[in-house]
Amino acid sequence: MKLIGIVGSNAKKSYNRTLLEFIKKHFSDSATIELLEVRNLPLFNESAKQDIPVIMEYNKKIQDADGVIIATPEHNHSITSSLKSLIEWLSNDVHPFNGKPVMIVGASYDVQGSSRAQLHLRQILDAPGVNAQVMPGHEFLLGQAQNAFDSEGNIKDSGTIDFLESCFKAFIRFTNVINLLNEPEDLEVTPGKYDVTAIGHNGKIPMSVEFSEDRIENIDIDTSGETKGIADTVFTRIPDEIVNGQTLNVDAVSGASITSNGVIEGVANAVKLAGGDPDILKRRPKANETEKIEPKEYSTDVVVIGGGGAGLSAAATVLQEGKNVILLEKFPAVGGNTIRTGGPMNAADPSWQNKFDAIPGEKTTLQGILEIDEVKIDKDYLPDFILLKKQITKYLDETTDEKEFLFDSSLFHRIQTYLGGKRVDLKGNEIFGKYDLVKVLTDDALDSVKWLEKIGVEFDNSEVAMPVGAKWRRGHKPLKNQGYAYISALRDFVNNNNGQIITDAPVKKLIIENGEVKGVISRNSNNQEIIVHASSVILASGGFGANTKMLQKYNTYWDKIDDDIKTSNSPAITGDGIRLGESAGAELVGMGFTQMMPVSDPNTGELFSGLQVPPANFVMVNQEGRRFVNEYEGRDVLSKAAIENGGLFYLIADDNIKATAYNTNQEKIDAQVEAGTLFKSDSIEGLAAEIKVDPSILRETIDKYNSYVESGNDPEFGKNVFDLKVVKPPFYATPRKPAMHHTMGGLKIDTKTHVIGKSGKIIPHLFAAGEVAGGIHAGNRLGGNSLTDIFTFGRIAGKTAVSENLQEK
Amino acid sequence: MNYLAIVGSNADKSTNRMLLKYMQKHFEKQANIEICEIKNFPVFDESDITNVPEPIKKMVESISSSDGVIISTPEYDHSIPAALKSVLEWLSYVSESLYKKPVMITGASHGSLGSSRAQNHLRQILDSPEISARVMPSSEFLLGHSLLAFDDNGYLSDANKVKELENDFSQFLQFSDEVNQLMKKHPVKRTGHQLWELNK
Repeated sequence: MKLIGIVGSNAKKSYNRTLLEFIKKHFSDSATIELLEVRNLPLFNESAKQDIPVIMEYNKKIQDADGVIIATPEHNHSITSSLKSLIEWLSNDVHPFNGKPVMIVGASYDVQGSSRAQLHLRQILDAPGVNAQVMPGHEFLLGQAQNAFDSEGNIKDSGTIDFLESCFKAFIRFTNVINLLNEPEDLEVTPGKYDVTAIGHNGKIPMSVEFSEDRIENIDIDTSGETKGIADTVFTRIPDEIVNGQTLNVDAVSGASITSNGVIEGVANAVKLAGGDPDILKRRPKANETEKIEPKEYSTDVVVIGGGGAGLSAAATVLQEGKNVILLEKFPAVGGNTIRTGGPMNAADPSWQNKFDAIPGEKTTLQGILEIDEVKIDKDYLPDFILLKKQITKYLDETTDEKEFLFDSSLFHRIQTYLGGKRVDLKGNEIFGKYDLVKVLTDDALDSVKWLEKIGVEFDNSEVAMPVGAKWRRGHKPLKNQGYAYISALRDFVNNNNGQIITDAPVKKLIIENGEVKGVISRNSNNQEIIVHASSVILASGGFGANTKMLQKYNTYWDKIDDDIKTSNSPAITGDGIRLGESAGAELVGMGFTQMMPVSDPNTGELFSGLQVPPANFVMVNQEGRRFVNEYEGRDVLSKAAIENGGLFYLIADDNIKATAYNTNQEKIDAQVEAGTLFKSDSIEGLAAEIKVDPSILRETIDKYNSYVESGNDPEFGKNVFDLKVVKPPFYATPRKPAMHHTMGGLKIDTKTHVIGKSGKIIPHLFAAGEVAGGIHAGNRLGGNSLTDIFTFGRIAGKTAVSENLQEK
Repeated sequence: MNYLAIVGSNADKSTNRMLLKYMQKHFEKQANIEICEIKNFPVFDESDITNVPEPIKKMVESISSSDGVIISTPEYDHSIPAALKSVLEWLSYVSESLYKKPVMITGASHGSLGSSRAQNHLRQILDSPEISARVMPSSEFLLGHSLLAFDDNGYLSDANKVKELENDFSQFLQFSDEVNQLMKKHPVKRTGHQLWELNK
């Protein structure tokens, strides 16, 4: 029999330790007992990291043991804080005591022998999170312990030894019986196929589970209702693990826990329908609990960190240049933040845009550019600004009021990116985009669109899109599937051209030898090391929008970043690449500037709930039912205004405006109305009641707004680009709240994507592209510019990595 | 009255902290309540007490100069958190600050029971001879479902619970006054350290 003894005191000298050492020695014929100490363990904190190595080691040892003996002293009528702390560690994330036979013993200086502490300990071990099986009766209380042992640590009194022996004998029997209860049970079900409905992230997922007499044979899931991408992994991996392991004790897929748990619960319900007990399957060990695995080593030309748009386009470019590439993705599926975008990508393409009519207000925007005082333009940008003014003057002269077409040029894109990014932070530091980077971004944008078309992305040429905060219509939008269109096309290209994508592989560190970057080391969820040796390393792991601590650490722009701020980002976006870059001595730029997405879901931070319509159709009202901002403003103005108005606000839409939403369909809308995350009514007054504002105020707000649409002029907030009025029922209100969306700062790079070190010199063999890099968007990124950024600089990174490091090979 | 309120949790987010902050505001006319955190204290080790941590020394002073102590405890595994237990061990080993000190116990929990079992353990612990605090009898403020109990401004939203708390608090005002007057009449000094030794 294998037992664990826990010394319940953290003191250097403890009679409870002496007692356990005696038990270990005295009963060595019937059991091997290993002693665990609470001395020097960290104090439990539920907000801290839970998988600290020593706790994981104790967890494993207790799990593997047949039973546990705990020796407790008594401090202030209870157990010691250090013993309590260990039990807390072992009852929060991990639960090794669950069902485990436990015997309590105790020693103390006085006659009590820790009697009150033992009673507390029984109650503690009985708590649901601990759920140990404590042997009843057999209280072994060793009083006046200072006199109880001889110089060899043996108990002197033979009567005491007799009693300890009878307690121990009872514990051996008790352990054997309890462990019988812990034996896995066989599943017994009525064979057949059972249909159930699981609850996924986007609603119901119908599934069908097939059983033989004692096994789950097959799980079929109807996936048509779920978002493509992340959930795909759930629908293949979770059923595989359940069927292969014949267990419901499987881990949720990171980033998709709701859908994962939905599938697990769905199968549990099917087991019940088939007359079986799902708890039997939940108690079984995990499918993939494996011992330590040997590291896996690869050698390649270029290794790319991060499987979003930047990393995949870098990898695709390396393959086009005829070299080998390995891409490591932290999550189970590629996609990163790119998969979460609405899809419009900014690129000036005048010959295409000119075919579209201008819409009211766009002329005012152009005139606004002409009115800017040249003194206010930074000197890097001044020649371009003067040229742009000439272009605009020419356009305004040539067009008449009857027939205006949509104007654009890469110069206009550049100046808007510059003006849009120019900000001053709380400390008075001014920032604007680095000219040479912004020039590359805006000059190469259209090439990136054309390159993506060749890779296989189909764009919708029938409409020039404009996402929130873009300031101009120059968005190329994929024909279908929003951000997934880019990811699926690029992923397929990489796979079909012998590129290697390894998922579930978060990179932990760069291999740096003699100051040179030589590759990366990753560790997957099975604790296996993946070592990739490469001549070039491209960091494309995104920003740090999902890392609240990091946001707070660097923030110099917002008054405060709340601890519970939501994010529109993938949970994978935690600044890993910035840390890796720093480990190689990289310089950081503009880290204090972050962008909030004003129109995010108040509960999840996501963008694609409710009705997301073009900004010309935004009607934003606060919690009193009043407008509070020019809805056509950039993201940070909208976010600041929303925060000043209490955070939560509503987007009001009518039936016509609803039709311009680019993220949804009637089925989704109905489901959200039913779930209470979107409000709908046949009258404005009814809608006011739904969102709990004064009906007369909302009525007045909407009437005023409609009159502004008619006159093309908003005297209240200065909105000057309008499209539709709010007139046709049913009316909708989408609740929104600002959430963290983009981090503009990051690793300092040059136009070839070399990472620049603190010394100002290039760090050889290390490149960065996408949100991990800084300096382009400066204080505020225009909507639609990040896709332009990742595909443009992603390609450049791929190209430079090959041409500079591999040309002689 | 000057009270010291001890947050019984070392977690970043704690509804016990919220409860004490609410009491601090709500009772500001009747008492001055100072809130004291137990975050980042070293775990008590009786074999290494030569360097008493600064925050413990500060806490001893605050308790000694106060008219009473309020402790709000969460419940971890049917008992008080190790972090709170550790602080009580420190206090009782290196000082007599809690000796005959009036104490009011409150507690909040995410579940429905409001830390009831932890509060009982805490009473027994505070009643041990090494601590000998004077815990106010026959009143227990148990705040269940604490995640839903506060509004956005940190106010308790259930009027009945507010009334109950007001009632308990006015009792405590009276109780601490009585205990402190008795103490003035019959001052007794001992140190926790001596008692620990005695017990050994």
